[in-house]
Amino acid sequence: MNSVLRRLALVTLACAGLLIVAHGVLVVARSQAQEKVIKIGALFAFTGPGSYFGVQDKQAIDLAVEQLNRTGVNGYKFQVSYEDSACAPLPATQAAKRLLEQVKPDIVLGEECSDATLAIMPLMAAAKVPLLNAGSSSIKITEPGNPWTFRIMPNEVMQGENIAKNAYERLKARTAVLLHENTNAGIGNADIFERAFTKHGGKILLRIGFGRDLNDFTAIATRVAGAGHADVIPTYTLEGQGLKITQALAQAGVTRGGGGKSIQLGTIWLPFGFDKKAGKAADGYVRIVQFDPTEKRPIVQDFVKAFKAKYNEDPTHINAHGYDQVLLVADIVRRGGKDPQSIRDLLADTRGFPGVTGTVQFDKTNQNVMTDTMHYVETQADSSWKVLDWQ
Amino acid sequence: MPDALTVVVQQTINGVVLGSLYVLVALGLTLIYGVLVQINFAHADIVTVGAFAAYFFTHRFGGHYVLSIGVALAVGAVLGWLINSLVFVPLRRRGSELLPLIATIGVSILMENASLAAFGPIPYAFESPYSGQVIRLGRIFISLQHLLVIAVAGVTIGLLYAFIRYTVHGKALRAVAQDVETAGLMGINPNRLIMLTFVIGSALAGLSGALLGPVLVLTPFAGASVIVKAFAIVIIGGFGNMEGTILAGLLVGLIEAFTTQLMNPGLIDIVVFALLLATLALRPTGLIAERREENV
Repeated sequence: MNSVLRRLALVTLACAGLLIVAHGVLVVARSQAQEKVIKIGALFAFTGPGSYFGVQDKQAIDLAVEQLNRTGVNGYKFQVSYEDSACAPLPATQAAKRLLEQVKPDIVLGEECSDATLAIMPLMAAAKVPLLNAGSSSIKITEPGNPWTFRIMPNEVMQGENIAKNAYERLKARTAVLLHENTNAGIGNADIFERAFTKHGGKILLRIGFGRDLNDFTAIATRVAGAGHADVIPTYTLEGQGLKITQALAQAGVTRGGGGKSIQLGTIWLPFGFDKKAGKAADGYVRIVQFDPTEKRPIVQDFVKAFKAKYNEDPTHINAHGYDQVLLVADIVRRGGKDPQSIRDLLADTRGFPGVTGTVQFDKTNQNVMTDTMHYVETQADSSWKVLDWQ
Repeated sequence: MPDALTVVVQQTINGVVLGSLYVLVALGLTLIYGVLVQINFAHADIVTVGAFAAYFFTHRFGGHYVLSIGVALAVGAVLGWLINSLVFVPLRRRGSELLPLIATIGVSILMENASLAAFGPIPYAFESPYSGQVIRLGRIFISLQHLLVIAVAGVTIGLLYAFIRYTVHGKALRAVAQDVETAGLMGINPNRLIMLTFVIGSALAGLSGALLGPVLVLTPFAGASVIVKAFAIVIIGGFGNMEGTILAGLLVGLIEAFTTQLMNPGLIDIVVFALLLATLALRPTGLIAERREENV
């Protein structure tokens, strides 16, 4: 009798234990189901010549998501899925398809390279998922007006006209040689500069385009040296080739870094750190960046501090625009965005959003029209850089 | 000096420098093909590892750049020995010609991704102490780095040529290239000679990496960016033909320099590969001579 009672007690205890465990599982499952998530797809280059973009974007996106997920926004947490789009149309298209099919994101961030962005835009539009772009400059991205693509950085027209005006008025440049990679962004940026500079009264002495596979720029520097004195040399390349061009121009005695008088001009393609890598050859290089870490705005200084604390290094402008993309998504969610359609609609209504790079306000083509995101820096003789008070 | 002549002289110097670099990369390829009749797709990655070995020796350990060329050569040699011992020897024993070829592609992918994991994708600034030192004669200029490239390429070609023509091992190598079985009957150990070929070819790849490092954009894909040209040079020069490779390498370097000057650098690949197609159509055995039984 005792053994029967003992067995009954054991069975009862086992059943009670099972019920407790099952209840626990249900509670956890329910809480997980209740946790609302905004799925962010991120298409950036992690391989190839543009991979420095992806590495730096990811650093800042991870930081922003980590900060936001501590409390969540409107009850939502953020989840980022990265795919390597390699800064080129074909891998970008494949990566975008993977992302859309497997992750089903509420919004996608990227790409940095215009050719890649142009390739993925139709996929995003077809899937009705908003694409928030920070780094591509080609005017073709926003000019026709695509309801699903938004760009927070100044496009090639805004940058090119501004830099041509500053070259002519502030540097008193009257002659220029244009060097650019043969991509949509490279050709587009060079076209805009040429048009704006000649409209001001300047003259283009020579224009040279090249592929991304070109390694040695001594022959190009030789041709530039023989083309007559160029006051400025606007250069549109990724960082690796940019380094080699700068060094070759100095070796040829063309630019200030090599004892010449020409000043190289650049755009936001080059990250901070370029000056140190290029060394003395980069002396006098003037270029646009999309972030001024010396700005006193609290949001900027908080970002610099948090980035340094996490990575033990100073943020670059590529880090900054990666960070701004997530902050803008969070702002949209705060304003009620919860799915691709509502996020798209609220993005289009964005007015005066304060990011670390500057202000975001989209026009009817979904281009950010605020130019306070443009900052000029000049490389100094000791390979440091200083912010120029140019607009 | 008139402007046009200055440009011709300057672009000739530029072309010879670039051509010398291509020759160094292509010589290892053609040497291995000449003896083994096998294309080594992993050659590009040995160039990359050689460049990184030189970079870390100089920039992280404070070694002198000239010594780093020796370090890269040694690293290339060790890699060649490892790849041959671990991958190709076992596969050759199976008697298949296709397996080693496929294996070189596998080794290449493995090495490229290992380099990516180890070194990261961001370009490195490989500064040679000679890059910034420029000799100027009027408007003609050449950096000491470029002079070093020409000098090292000249010495390397000379030593390799002397080794193959005048040493016992070199003669044995030629015998193996001519007929492996007969060479074996003559008391030559073909496996040792094949190993030697792989080690020398890979050492050349490592060495060229150290010289290319300060010239090209140093990333884990650095070797891949020159290997297509190197393959073209080997084909234009004639597979396994040393003299042809040297001539073709210099020719491609000059074509690049003068295409940049006279036309547009965007057209370089069109011109080079048009030459490759013309060679295949008109002289399929290469520029210098009809294919011989042995070319090394």
